[in-house]
Amino acid sequence: MDNGWQQKPGNRIYRPRRIRKYRLRRVLGVAAVFSAGYGNVGSSIYYALGIVAVTASGATPVALGIAGILFVFTALTYAEGTAMYPEAGGSASFALHGFNRAIGFVAGWALMLSYIATISISAFTIPPYFGFFWEPLKSSPVISTAVAIGIILFLMLMNLIGVRETSVINIGAAILDIATQVTLIVIGFILLFNPPVLIGRIVDNWPSPDKLVLGIALASIAYTGIETASQMAEETRIPERRVPRALILMIFAVLAIFAGISLVSFMAMTPQELGSEWARDPVAGIAANIPVKILSDILKPLIGILAGTILLIATNAGLIGISRLAFSLGQRKLAPKMFSKIHRRFQTPYIAILLFSAIGIIILVPGFFTPSVFENVGALYAFGSLLAFMFSHASIISLRIRKPEQPRPFRLPLNINIGKVSLPITAILGFVFTTVIWIIINVTQPFSRLVGFVWMILGILIYYIFSRRVSPPS
Amino acid sequence: MSEAKNRTVFRRILVPVSGTEADDETMRMACWIAKRDKSKLYAMYVITIKRSLPLEAEIESETRRAEELLDRMERIAEAEDYTVETDLLQAREVAPTIIDEAVERKVDLIIMGVKYQRRFGQFSLGNIVPYILKNATCQVMLYSQYTG
Repeated sequence: MDNGWQQKPGNRIYRPRRIRKYRLRRVLGVAAVFSAGYGNVGSSIYYALGIVAVTASGATPVALGIAGILFVFTALTYAEGTAMYPEAGGSASFALHGFNRAIGFVAGWALMLSYIATISISAFTIPPYFGFFWEPLKSSPVISTAVAIGIILFLMLMNLIGVRETSVINIGAAILDIATQVTLIVIGFILLFNPPVLIGRIVDNWPSPDKLVLGIALASIAYTGIETASQMAEETRIPERRVPRALILMIFAVLAIFAGISLVSFMAMTPQELGSEWARDPVAGIAANIPVKILSDILKPLIGILAGTILLIATNAGLIGISRLAFSLGQRKLAPKMFSKIHRRFQTPYIAILLFSAIGIIILVPGFFTPSVFENVGALYAFGSLLAFMFSHASIISLRIRKPEQPRPFRLPLNINIGKVSLPITAILGFVFTTVIWIIINVTQPFSRLVGFVWMILGILIYYIFSRRVSPPS
Repeated sequence: MSEAKNRTVFRRILVPVSGTEADDETMRMACWIAKRDKSKLYAMYVITIKRSLPLEAEIESETRRAEELLDRMERIAEAEDYTVETDLLQAREVAPTIIDEAVERKVDLIIMGVKYQRRFGQFSLGNIVPYILKNATCQVMLYSQYTG
């Protein structure tokens, strides 16, 4: 018999209670985990570049580079954590093991905010990319915001009904994403390469130190999405080896492509143009400024469609991510049971989908009245993601102290030994930098500070009230 | 005599069930074939979990329905004086799971019950059966239940 059958990625099998010992059939490989992770992280550049340019101006590539170092630390932390606990939940899971249920919940709640912001910002960035086909999608805040809200409503409905979607879509999106970005970098370097112009645009538009620091803080959103790769751990074959490999591969790919895109964008347009006219669709700005007319005419609609599609998938990934996370928290008795309530007919977590889509929409409502919503939602995204990363770093450090004997299939390099405890320098630096950036975001961004803290306080209240009513699972 | 010697022997048979009226008769047929070759007989049911839920999500109504169905398959096998090993799985997609299970259990034959169904006014085998027919690495037998 020919046993050349290859299981489809993402189709892990779970055996419920019928047989006494159930086994998990993990099927994903390095490529599939990398694709899922890159699909999420890679989509960030379509809006992050503009957000950073609004603040960091000429220092945008530098801000992205510095934030990239933080990304390396965070990805390494996730590699150690996921290899230790190959289960869905990411930072919430690490915090649960590294600390306790309460901190596990808080980390999960922060992660939820990050997912909601992903939904809002990805949806909000889609209409401008289609502006090539109908100008008001880019120029009119009312039409643009209404379409973004419509996109969330559409995806909410799709996820409520539970339309079949294969994992092939994620892999296809990642391939499309990388192909688009690499093509643009290659074309950009061939047609636009001009070091004096590039250096001139950086030096002449260098921001003030406070703006540079804020730019670095906002640049961190370009690298969020590592969670997605971590979430795939429970569906990965030999996760303790393959997830770290996929994360390391992602570090190289993301840093190389993001550096290329940011440099090409500076060769294609001035920081002022990038931070104003093309703020919401910076990659479309690169295509529009390609000097060869025929190439630009082809690339403009193509980039619009590709970027729009990738962002649509990223919005959907956010919605799927938050409904899964909310369900898991509900199932683990870390959050109210309503989060894990399943619709009788559609068999989807309808309350979680409805509730979090509604919050994603509410966040976008100011977009009808003010253009600053883009930067605000970006900062809110940074608030949630950085908080989740802080918990991840802290949990990995805590696990080194509290569970030093626990097997670590992937152990972070560069450690300092204090007595019998070995602490990873990258996780410590990651924790310190993430905390500093998170504080900067809170000090400088009133919208994200207000919404973020209200969200976290609400979560803590829910947990406090809920934990008094429900006894934790044995 | 040589004809009988050359016939295919099925050592392991897999019966994926889906809760249609064809399941019972398919299981009986599988028992007859299994008796002839003294085969190991497996029945399986796949609960499809939507992507908005973690794969471990326990959907009580579905699990109960699947348990009842697999219990019924065990009773049918018992009535045919044979034993069947039943299994309940949760996956994102049914068809690849059946193929994966068949490969893992080194199955020689998959027997599936097919319900007569129409889609857009045309007879349709649905998505699962064609996928199995295309990708199976063993023999596949279909039992089509005529419902009048």
